[in-house]
Amino acid sequence: MPKSFAICDDASTSDSTTGLVFELTPAQQTLRPAKADWLPQDLSHPSSGQGRRRALCNPMAAASPLILTNACYAAGGKVILSDLTLTLTQARIGIIGRNGSGKTTLLRLMAGLIAPTAGEVRLGTLDPARDRKAMLSQLGILFQNPDHQILFPTVGEELAFGLTQMGQSQTDARAAVRALLAIEGRAHWDGAATHTLSHGQRQYLCLLAVLAMQPAILLLDEPFAALDLPSQARLRRRLAGLSQRVITISHDPAAVAQSDRVIWLESGRIKADGAAGPVLAEFTADMARIGEADADADLSG
Amino acid sequence: MERNLTHIALFAALIAVLGLIPKIDLMVGVPITAQSLGIMLCGTVLGSKRGALAVILFLVLVAAGLPLLSGGRGGIGVFTGPSAGFLVGFPVAAFVAGWIVEHWRAPVGVTALVGAFVGGILVLYGIGIPVLAAMMTPEKANASFANLAMYTGVHLPLTLVLSLLYLPGDLIKVVMAAAITQAIAKARPGALLSRA
Amino acid sequence: MLTLTSPVKTWAHRLPAGGKLAVLSLWTVLVLHLSGVWLGLAVLGVTVLVATGGRDFAAEWLRMLRPLWPFVVIASLWHLALGMPIGAVTVILRLVAAVGLANAVTMTTPLDEIMALLTRLLRPLSWVGLQPKVIALAVALVIRFVPVMLQRYGQISDAWRMRSPRRPGGRVLMPVLLAALDDADRVAEALRARGGAS
Repeated sequence: MPKSFAICDDASTSDSTTGLVFELTPAQQTLRPAKADWLPQDLSHPSSGQGRRRALCNPMAAASPLILTNACYAAGGKVILSDLTLTLTQARIGIIGRNGSGKTTLLRLMAGLIAPTAGEVRLGTLDPARDRKAMLSQLGILFQNPDHQILFPTVGEELAFGLTQMGQSQTDARAAVRALLAIEGRAHWDGAATHTLSHGQRQYLCLLAVLAMQPAILLLDEPFAALDLPSQARLRRRLAGLSQRVITISHDPAAVAQSDRVIWLESGRIKADGAAGPVLAEFTADMARIGEADADADLSG
Repeated sequence: MERNLTHIALFAALIAVLGLIPKIDLMVGVPITAQSLGIMLCGTVLGSKRGALAVILFLVLVAAGLPLLSGGRGGIGVFTGPSAGFLVGFPVAAFVAGWIVEHWRAPVGVTALVGAFVGGILVLYGIGIPVLAAMMTPEKANASFANLAMYTGVHLPLTLVLSLLYLPGDLIKVVMAAAITQAIAKARPGALLSRA
Repeated sequence: MLTLTSPVKTWAHRLPAGGKLAVLSLWTVLVLHLSGVWLGLAVLGVTVLVATGGRDFAAEWLRMLRPLWPFVVIASLWHLALGMPIGAVTVILRLVAAVGLANAVTMTTPLDEIMALLTRLLRPLSWVGLQPKVIALAVALVIRFVPVMLQRYGQISDAWRMRSPRRPGGRVLMPVLLAALDDADRVAEALRARGGAS
């Protein structure tokens, strides 16, 4: 059985010809349309009748553990993260904290965008800050604001970019993108200008661009923050169906309530770490207590 | 009016940003770095008059003491140093580049390419290099013509040769300026004030 | 935004900006004609002047001269090759005298003073529609746009680095520039809503 990445439609699970499946070519690890004579088991969920459920399947590789050992980060004379030691292996992990607690810095540290000023960060055997090429298939980030991460003027280019950077040829990448858009019911988006999309559509485009690279781990930075309620619901559903490890960073307990494990970051240190229920209860209580006090006058500068 | 003002200010800021972002460039005293890309863009996107104004606005801020010149340089000193000719040439370069884009009825990408080259390289070098050569000349201004000619004759080829080091980088910038101008013409045609 | 004005307060900080610039202009023209002993004295004079500002001030002044080193090296090598070592010394000393005093003026004149002076000097331009108010507004706008663009550049660079092993190059400029153009349009609208630029 070929190792495959199905971007499929669960419309009728028995009628396999309605689904488009991609498979890895044995040698080059590129995507090509495969004969859809089977559908992966985990996609055969009957839809409730409202819309179709689409999911991007198994990532290219199983997720390695993300290990931080006494990791610290300081910049401009200020210590932002101190002495973090974590081993992240769970499928759904939430990182909760107030604004300014160092969550975004931790996210960038895990992604390898910055290197720790002390201590160590490892994804399996990889050093995220150094092994950039290998990291592309390991980890993807969805940033909070789509306008901060859309690089290209058209949807097609935006989606194909990651694929070409991972080694695919232009033609293969474009074909994969067209097929991907077709499955998502948005074939007409291929040549569309990115700045004509609505905010929710842009966020969706960014998610698609990251998923197209099929990373083993997905990092989400405040994914629901700027979305309206219907978009939030759609995104939640979509994320729930992903089989890669998902790490969500938020200041809102609701965003991480479904996690297997929640880590509470406060002033650059781990204040609590455990099951979602107890940690979030503690966090919410603490936030309420802080909110009662009327003091936010200190300047961070 | 307000739109002209904000766009001029924006491009002046762009020149500063191009000097502040980390780029691998030949940082050797002469300010031909990513900033000359900004100079070219001022001309090709804003046109001759507005482009020159944007560059002058930038130079005013540099003279006032903001370290906006690549390498964190600024102040009045840069106008008395070896880069003086190039700094004075900046607004002229933008003007010429803009003039070509405004008046030559050809596709934007082509006119921007030629404009950026003529303005950003020919005109800019044409002003900057002789001034630099003159600064290398130790003779007093009232020296006899014979002496002066000999000395500037000696220094001109030197500075020309040195400038060849920057030429490859600048040619790349010319191509980038053309590409960016064309992309703006496509994505935000209203912002292309040189063809408004 | 940080300026090049020195935080070390000296007597020169109290002098009027216009006067300092006038003296500087005359000095620069003069120095370019000097050579020999007079030139040496000129440089000595500038150094003594700077020294009166104290050790920290003098250290800052020296640091501001550092970008000139490539020119110094090239001029020295070339003049030595030509067999005119005195020529190298003359050229370099003139530079130090002119640039040195100019930097000292920059270090002792706050930004708002120079801006006020420049707007006064440019007042004749109000004939062609460039009133001082507009110039001041333009300066404020530039100072507003620079950090916003730098921040956006950082964000787009991060997004690039997450999807490509290569360092972000010129292609990152495009989204930054487009976002900035949109921003400029919005600011123009805001300006118009608040009474316009004039």
